Amino acid sequence: MKYFYSILFIFSSVLSFAQTESQDSSRVYKKKVLEAVEVDFLMSFYSQNGQHSAVGGGVGSEKLKDNTPTLVVNIPLGNDDVLTVDAGISAYSSASSSNVNPFYTLPVKTQSGSTIIVQTGASQTGAANLETSAAVDDVDDDPVSTGPKPIGSPWYASSGASKSDALKSLNVSYAHSSDDRNEIISVNMAVSKEYDYSSLGFGAGYTRLFNQQNTELSIKGSAYLDQWLVIYPTELNEYRLYGDDFLNSGYFNGVEVYDQDMNVTSDAYNPSAFSSMSKTNRNSYTASLSFSQVLSKNLQMSVFMDLILQSGLLSTPYQRVYFKDRPNYYIGQSSDIEYYETTKNNGVYHLADDVERLPDTRFKIPIGLRLNYYFNEIITFRTYYRYYKDDWELEAQTASIEMPIKLSQKFTFYPSYRYYTQTKADYFAPYNTHFSSEQYYTSDYDLSTFNSKSIGFGVSYTDIFTSFKIFRLALKKIDLRYQNYKRSDKLKSNIFSFGFSFVVDK
Amino acid sequence: MKISFTSQKKHALSVFVLQLYMLLILSFVLVSSCTVVKPYQKVNLNDSDMKLSAHKTERFETNYQVYREGASGANGGKTGGGCGCN
Repeated sequence: MKYFYSILFIFSSVLSFAQTESQDSSRVYKKKVLEAVEVDFLMSFYSQNGQHSAVGGGVGSEKLKDNTPTLVVNIPLGNDDVLTVDAGISAYSSASSSNVNPFYTLPVKTQSGSTIIVQTGASQTGAANLETSAAVDDVDDDPVSTGPKPIGSPWYASSGASKSDALKSLNVSYAHSSDDRNEIISVNMAVSKEYDYSSLGFGAGYTRLFNQQNTELSIKGSAYLDQWLVIYPTELNEYRLYGDDFLNSGYFNGVEVYDQDMNVTSDAYNPSAFSSMSKTNRNSYTASLSFSQVLSKNLQMSVFMDLILQSGLLSTPYQRVYFKDRPNYYIGQSSDIEYYETTKNNGVYHLADDVERLPDTRFKIPIGLRLNYYFNEIITFRTYYRYYKDDWELEAQTASIEMPIKLSQKFTFYPSYRYYTQTKADYFAPYNTHFSSEQYYTSDYDLSTFNSKSIGFGVSYTDIFTSFKIFRLALKKIDLRYQNYKRSDKLKSNIFSFGFSFVVDK
Repeated sequence: MKISFTSQKKHALSVFVLQLYMLLILSFVLVSSCTVVKPYQKVNLNDSDMKLSAHKTERFETNYQVYREGASGANGGKTGGGCGCN
């Protein structure tokens, strides 16, 4: 609720600011870049499911839900300038993330008949896996030498705090247009925060129009300085805290560890490949160049190119990796070990050999093309193509087409189709197939070879006379969109999004 | 006759399609660069569906694509900030 109030506060602040500004600037008439304050309420509902959880080392549920209320306000400042405030929240729950600590215990009946639930390890707070916490044992890390034994499964969401979070973001940008409207200078600043990750970004751009505004050249630079609050999978965090004796200390004291043959082992599990991350920052630097050209009265195109350099901690520190040349060890119901990679596995979890390790730099070059064609008063074609390559040897291509069909003066229907294909990054291998001798490794299927298809549609309602009003907000447009996404590795998702665009009456 | 493609051939075909597309765009630019469309002739180009940018509500789809796919950028979306790790 506090996020809602925050957004409301920002909204009311910018509205009052805009009102003052519009009164001041009305003394001398000049055609404005933006005539009135514009407000967009945007929202999306996303859900997905798959079977290659990155936290589970390439095995497990990828069930995820995400809702993203967002507010965008464009405010004219004088005749030439526009201030944009873009604030949003992304509130998600994720089965994959919840399994940073996958262990829990089932409810047990006491002799008196009442039911108790015994939480184990760090699952109650999620904070016990923090890199920075020296006193995690005080939080929730008691041995479970008595009571029911812990179980876990990559196919089920755990009850840990990492199962849900909210990403809060704010982006403020300012654009100034020259008197002849042929030059635009812009700057922006962005911040975002979620539990284990924060980001600070800023950028500046310059746009030049010429050839009677038939040609547009734009250059932009941006930098994001991000910071991880490093969290490790429970078993590796215990190893980090207690060293070689960790099976007799902390969480693992009294917990039975099984080998592949379902035998209880004593001190056999030893993730010696694991060590703490040396960096906690992730920086991204981007130089963007775009060129737009009117080709005829009905055709125009644009070419975009980005040069993106990332450095720092580029791997995700709680994504597990299992080595083929190391024995497997499990906690939970030993009878489920043989079904580990299937959804029949209700209660056993494979203990990690290490976390994902990726190079600390990545250089990406995407080149995109848009070509839009006005076929007639009813139909328009919007096409997009992108070629992408990076120095992790991931190569990808994207093609999409959308065909807006005007059903009436107010309603437009947007069927669309998108195809995407990529080759795997050098460091990807599926569950339990990496070797401990490798320098870099990941089992995150987002970096595997796959293709994906999206099919969807949208409907928009436009009222150029803005006749419907809510207080001072005059409704200009409503957008509804739906996309169904299928990836060749069986990941599926649906997204429903909508937007309400208003103009603020003076 | 059944035609089957290996992934390498598929990739080569895709690159060929890209080159063809680029050639097409380049031809358009060269042919039309001498032609100037006057402001009063831009009625169709000024249609909201002809904008050379994504729809406002498309930003969410772009975000999820960045999370779920290895490629990003060159689409007007974010090129940094956020771990995309859920």
